[in-house]
Amino acid sequence: MRKPWYFWLYVRSPITKILLGMLAVLISFAALAAQGMFENKRMEAQTDNWHGRSVEKGAEIFSSNCYTCHGVDGKGLPGVAPALHSRYFFTQRMKDVGWAGSLHDYIALTVAAGRPSKSKSQWSQVMPTWSSKYGGPMRDDQVEQVTQFVLNWQEDALTQDWGTPAITSTTGVSGTGGVTGTTVTPMVNLDPFQPFHDGPSKAPTNTITYTVGTLGAAAVGTTAALSATLPQSAEAAAPAGPRPPQELYTAMACSGCHKIDQDQTPDNQGQPGPNQGNLHETAATRVSGEDAETYVYNSIVNPSAFVVPGYPDGIMPKDFKTKMSEEEIRSLVKWILDPNRPK
Amino acid sequence: MAVQPEVKNKTLLETALGLADDTFTRITAGISAGEFRRMLRGEAPGKPNPRLKPHTEAFLLHIKPTYYHESVTRFTHTFRLGLLSTYLFFVETITGLFLMIWYAPSPDRAYTDMTRLLSNVPFGQFMRDLHRLGAEMMIVVVVAHMVRTYLTGSYKPPRQFTWFTGVLLLVMTLFLSFSGYLLPWDQLAFWAVTIGTSMADAVPPQIVGATVNLLARGAPDISANGLLRFYLLHVFFLPLLLILFFFVHYYKVVHFGISLPAQEEEVGQDTASKVPADRRVYYLPDVLLDETMFLIGFTALMIVLTVFFFQAPLESIANPQSTPLHTVAPWYFYWLQGLLKIANKMVAGVILPGVLLGLLAGIPYLDPNPSRRGKDRRVAIISGIIAGVVMIIWSWMGTPYYAVRAAPATEIVQELIPEEGAGLVRELGYARLPNGIYDTTKEMLPEATLADYEKTNPGFVELLHEFKSLTAEFDKEDKDFNEPQSILTISQEQPHLKRIQWTITWKDAKGKDGKFTRSFFIHEDSMYWEQYGLRDFSYLSKPEKAK
Ligand code: HEC
Ligand code: HEC
Ligand code: HEM
Repeated sequence: MRKPWYFWLYVRSPITKILLGMLAVLISFAALAAQGMFENKRMEAQTDNWHGRSVEKGAEIFSSNCYTCHGVDGKGLPGVAPALHSRYFFTQRMKDVGWAGSLHDYIALTVAAGRPSKSKSQWSQVMPTWSSKYGGPMRDDQVEQVTQFVLNWQEDALTQDWGTPAITSTTGVSGTGGVTGTTVTPMVNLDPFQPFHDGPSKAPTNTITYTVGTLGAAAVGTTAALSATLPQSAEAAAPAGPRPPQELYTAMACSGCHKIDQDQTPDNQGQPGPNQGNLHETAATRVSGEDAETYVYNSIVNPSAFVVPGYPDGIMPKDFKTKMSEEEIRSLVKWILDPNRPK
Repeated sequence: MAVQPEVKNKTLLETALGLADDTFTRITAGISAGEFRRMLRGEAPGKPNPRLKPHTEAFLLHIKPTYYHESVTRFTHTFRLGLLSTYLFFVETITGLFLMIWYAPSPDRAYTDMTRLLSNVPFGQFMRDLHRLGAEMMIVVVVAHMVRTYLTGSYKPPRQFTWFTGVLLLVMTLFLSFSGYLLPWDQLAFWAVTIGTSMADAVPPQIVGATVNLLARGAPDISANGLLRFYLLHVFFLPLLLILFFFVHYYKVVHFGISLPAQEEEVGQDTASKVPADRRVYYLPDVLLDETMFLIGFTALMIVLTVFFFQAPLESIANPQSTPLHTVAPWYFYWLQGLLKIANKMVAGVILPGVLLGLLAGIPYLDPNPSRRGKDRRVAIISGIIAGVVMIIWSWMGTPYYAVRAAPATEIVQELIPEEGAGLVRELGYARLPNGIYDTTKEMLPEATLADYEKTNPGFVELLHEFKSLTAEFDKEDKDFNEPQSILTISQEQPHLKRIQWTITWKDAKGKDGKFTRSFFIHEDSMYWEQYGLRDFSYLSKPEKAK
């Protein structure tokens, strides 16, 4: 037979073959040893990697489900829902409610189960149930991801101010006096925490001075001992005349469960409550014999009367009738159903 | 006790040596130590050939022929691709067994089991990567083996049935790989398999299709039942079937002998099983040595590839509520996905693949040409090449670059930071994404910063450039996307977490405003290179974290 041109590539000697095989074994072992050398570092990096990725996912969940009540940066909304991005939350809250487990579990369980509405809550909202185990919209892994996200505030929360000596000395420990002196350097990172009415802090008053922040600049410099001052709840703060509907929509945290700027379509099912961008088209079709306005009105005052298919009953609070006046509810209904509502 | 006279004459040492030799001969199923030594030294066997004994004594060897024709032992005749297919199957079995230790086929656990395997098990990632690499290589190797047998005309009489069992093996290999695809329970897996099983749905009549789909998924949608079924298919049923057909295939190969190079025999003859004495190459030791050393070398290659280059991707956990944009099938099914884009499910998903498979299996009967010589088989070889090219074109059509374009704004963002996968932004990573607002309609970076970044952070400059040119490109192409303004805002969301926000506004053909916003997040510790199948060593250069 004719020899092909690549003939020289053939290995003929058995000894060479065996040597090449041994070389291959050596290379394999060297590669495995290299892998073994970095194995601890690699596992650590992988642990961090998967933690990082779940924080990323958790951030997406938070920014589409939680920010409407807990604020964009988790610092809470006055009278709506408490701050999570808060030094108090990370250091004292668990002691105050007598929670023996880890903060991770506290958050995960709160998110999973929600908090039942209390008869006289300082919050205009209830913390909804999120886990699909209890009728909410989230899978367990999503609860875990958003928990990781909340925990990731820790580093920043721990640097928050509970009233630095400089401030307390100008304003005094007790009392609600604002900063009067001009020498105070503005505190950039105040704890935005609003104390819980139903869980007064057991921290010794002298050792911790809480900064009772509302939001933004107004809060700067308002320091007070926790036991001395409690912020006003949403109810107490209700102003005289009827409140405008767009304000109600956030203050009652409808916006926490419903998206008004998105349409409810088969591909885009709002969670935990249906989107309301196109409610003006669909409302009249929900219950026969009820026109759009009657239907929406009834949905607000008695959410269980008709439960939107695909959603569990009992998520939407049933006590809006006691929180808004008749006039306010009517105007809210009109506003929701207005197809030309400014976005 | 009566002692045998010949034993009486032996010294203790002789007896011990005799015993050792006896044991050696048992283990090697008939090769004595002396014969083994002669084998190693490359000496010719005596007559009768004592090296044939293991073929009759040992189970594993009895399916191997005792000698080959010299011409077919040459590497370039078979490239040892059939052997390699078998070997890769065993690699998969062994690595798969290790993975099974840490894996439970339940949607609650599967994904976290994977991440735990990757981050808490020493060599866990290595095992997973090796298993994935082996699976993909096996498909390549099996297809290459098919191409080799096609090109040498080895499917011609009397080997029609060998070819047919080969086609069955190919189908099983593909299914085996595909069933393993679902197990990590990530988005990639979930949606690829959802699409895959939905093709079964198109099988006519409706009742059959619907039933097959239901049986595969175990419920109208893939969930716990579907995962369990795919798991059992993957670790039990398909491997068993594959092993069975391995033996049928092997038996046929041994029975007929590997076909000789076509020039070596008359047209229409098959002399493979009548090997003249002077052209025999015995399995023991020559072919065995070749095969063993070849497989050792190949193993070394696989190990080096997995340790230094290859890393199996893992996307985010399966989410039945959200279909990621541009879901893709595994690469070996791109062609099918391409077909699905141009025809309906019934035609592209059922009829065409069925016809193709029928054609493939029928090749020995479709090609009546008795000659296996290349120059007599122009038609066969050219049609083979055309079929290959068509496959490649269909596969290209299966990638997201063909015909599924979402709205321009969505597409721009998807290009830079896809919902799943890496993309330019994740490639850069947390540290190289400076906070700021970058607007395509304005100067994106101040002069001085630009000059600085070109030196210190060229990737980011490239990202901005890409952002701008993608926007301009869609502006030109799409008449419903005019006067676009694209803004990228990078801000600190949390410690170690940045928000990457995209805001794109445009006017459509009628002058109506459109707006798109979307936020993504990037954590300092997340690494995404594995999404490209590449190993990420960036952690080696990261500074030690204070704990
Ligand atoms: C509809 C408004 C609303 C939404 C949406 C909401 N929460 Fe809450 N959340 C509340 C209220 C109100 C409380 C306080 C309940 C109470 O009175 O103890 C609360 C309490 C909490 C607590 C416990 C705080 C503490 O100090 O005890 C956590 C943790 C929490 N929410 C996390 C979340 C996360 C994560 C999400 C998004 C998945 C979310 N919340 C969405 C209203 C909401
Ligand atoms: C804790 C979450 C939550 C809050 C807060 C909430 N809703 Fe709902 N809402 C739901 C859920 C879940 C449903 C669907 C189930 C049902 O019909 O009860 C729903 C249904 C509705 C519907 C019927 C929607 C349809 O598509 O037919 C209307 C109207 C509505 N809500 C209005 C409001 C208004 C107005 C507010 C504020 C005053 C509000 N909701 C606050 C969760 C909430
Ligand atoms: C898992 C898959 C497969 C395995 C393990 C396998 C194994 C083998 C082995 C070991 C041989 C001996 C010759 C050689 O190594 O080339 C062989 C020969 C052969 N195989 Fe396969 N094979 C597989 C798939 C296929 C496929 C997909 C086809 C074609 C559709 C095929 C067709 C053939 C034919 C025709 C021969 C005879 C070649 C000759 O006599 O020259 N096999 N196979």
